[in-house]
Amino acid sequence: MKRLFNNKPVIAALVLPGILVMVFAMIIPIGFSVYYSLTNWAGIGAFKWVGFDNYVEILTSDSTFWRSLTNVAILIVVTVFLQNPVAFALAALLARIKPRWSRFFRTIYFIPAVLSVVVITALWTNIMNPSFGILNKFLSLFSTDPVTTSWLGKPATALGSVIWIIVWQGFGWALLFFYSGLMTVPAELEEAAKIDGAGWWMTYTRVILPYLFPIISAVVVIDVISSLKQMEIIFLSTGGGPGDLTQFTAVYLYQKAFVASQYGYGNGLSILFVIVAVGLTLVVQRLFRTEGEVA
Amino acid sequence: MSGPWISVKNTKKAFLGVFLAALAFFQLFPLLWVFNYSLQKTGDLFGPAFFTLPAVPQWNNYVRAFVDGKILQSSINSVIIVVSAVALTTVLAFCIAYACTRMSWKLRKWVLGFVSLGMVIPIHVTLLPNFIWFGLFGLIDTHLSLIIPYVAFQISFSTLVIAAQLQSVPLAMEESAFMDGASYRSILPRIIAPMVSPAIVTAMISTFLSDWNEFIMANTYLASDDKRTLPFSIIRFQGQYASDYAVQFACMVLVAVPALIIFFLFSKWIMAGVSAGAVKG
Repeated sequence: MKRLFNNKPVIAALVLPGILVMVFAMIIPIGFSVYYSLTNWAGIGAFKWVGFDNYVEILTSDSTFWRSLTNVAILIVVTVFLQNPVAFALAALLARIKPRWSRFFRTIYFIPAVLSVVVITALWTNIMNPSFGILNKFLSLFSTDPVTTSWLGKPATALGSVIWIIVWQGFGWALLFFYSGLMTVPAELEEAAKIDGAGWWMTYTRVILPYLFPIISAVVVIDVISSLKQMEIIFLSTGGGPGDLTQFTAVYLYQKAFVASQYGYGNGLSILFVIVAVGLTLVVQRLFRTEGEVA
Repeated sequence: MSGPWISVKNTKKAFLGVFLAALAFFQLFPLLWVFNYSLQKTGDLFGPAFFTLPAVPQWNNYVRAFVDGKILQSSINSVIIVVSAVALTTVLAFCIAYACTRMSWKLRKWVLGFVSLGMVIPIHVTLLPNFIWFGLFGLIDTHLSLIIPYVAFQISFSTLVIAAQLQSVPLAMEESAFMDGASYRSILPRIIAPMVSPAIVTAMISTFLSDWNEFIMANTYLASDDKRTLPFSIIRFQGQYASDYAVQFACMVLVAVPALIIFFLFSKWIMAGVSAGAVKG
């Protein structure tokens, strides 16, 4: 029997095809990126080996790169500290109503998460459209002059508007994660807290939240990963503008390579981006793991 | 419990109900707005009124969106690509999950770790190099240029979901089958797969939705119109009919509806899958 579960040819046949696809479409390309990041290739024609010049330039004098990372950081903060508490509170409400209704509302709140980003972006760019968007029409109801704000075009509102679209789409996920976490809380735990005289605030902060720590940390890790991966919504709405105010790293590397014809430089951004993404995820995961063990 | 208590409870309940309904309305309103606009004449959109229903519903907008947006061709392309990608992803992920959870070999932890790496690496870092790398094989502007990376990037999640459920299936299942002289080739699809079918369905639906909605790879690797996938129809429209907003809105509805139908049909499974993913972390 042991030999059966240790059958090398079978293991190879099961594992290799999937691994090879991943190596082909994910690992080898990153290798290519490393190679091209050390050149000044424009995408066509001849190119020169430039060593680490691209990296030095990105890290020392590319303010757009740093702006894009700052925006990623802002998005992480907004999702972790604004989206999550709201989603958690709503999940806690939904966990207390009749299952039938709870399911109905969860389904509705989750709809944005199943729509294509193209639809979502087109939807919100139209809502925020300065001339016929419903947002301005709505605000005009409360003012004497018609409101004509270009939400995605004005420096003061562009980043906030983009983040709003991203959060609107991601909210359903956070809600569902918290809801399924709350469903795993044993009823005795809550009852015990009640018997000990804890009010709802105490029950949540002292009993339920600590119990859900593993799920909350998983949600934060997901927030970090998905904030890093944001691209299409920005690409299709502001393109990173006005200026580079709404620039995100994934959009920036794409534009550098395919629009500005700095293919080598774009690959340098790409490699730094992988390092940041994998590094940050590992750091956040590690952070939660040790904290969880202490607690 | 005396009377007033119950009424306080009821007021609270009513308040909660109104709050949840208002939120649901807020969530759905943008979609209703798009649907409403898709039936208007473009000229009517620019009026000052906050919300008007179309005087005469312009169903013709949908005909134009369907024909000029090449919705039929794009849908066929999307179906071909997504069905192949979902089938491949699920089979390959199931195989890896089985080998890594049920069989004993030294590297299995490493392989599972490598597979989960796919959840962390942003697909965007492969956009630039794959354009060159796929080009070497003549894959650019073919459906394979999407199927391969879709599979590569979705294997991770599917493997983790299926592996999580495989761990709860007793080993005795295979042992007795092996006693009867069955082989892996027959045991995996006939005995093991049905036992983890909830996880498989969850993996398939989540793969379907993300592949069906994927845009940036489709926009990068496909160049010819007759190969493009559905989300691109909206972009094509924004270029072609820059000022004909109502038809653009109709196009958005046409693209959104299939995903919504799948979601409503399978929402139970999707929710269950998300829960599984969340609880397993």
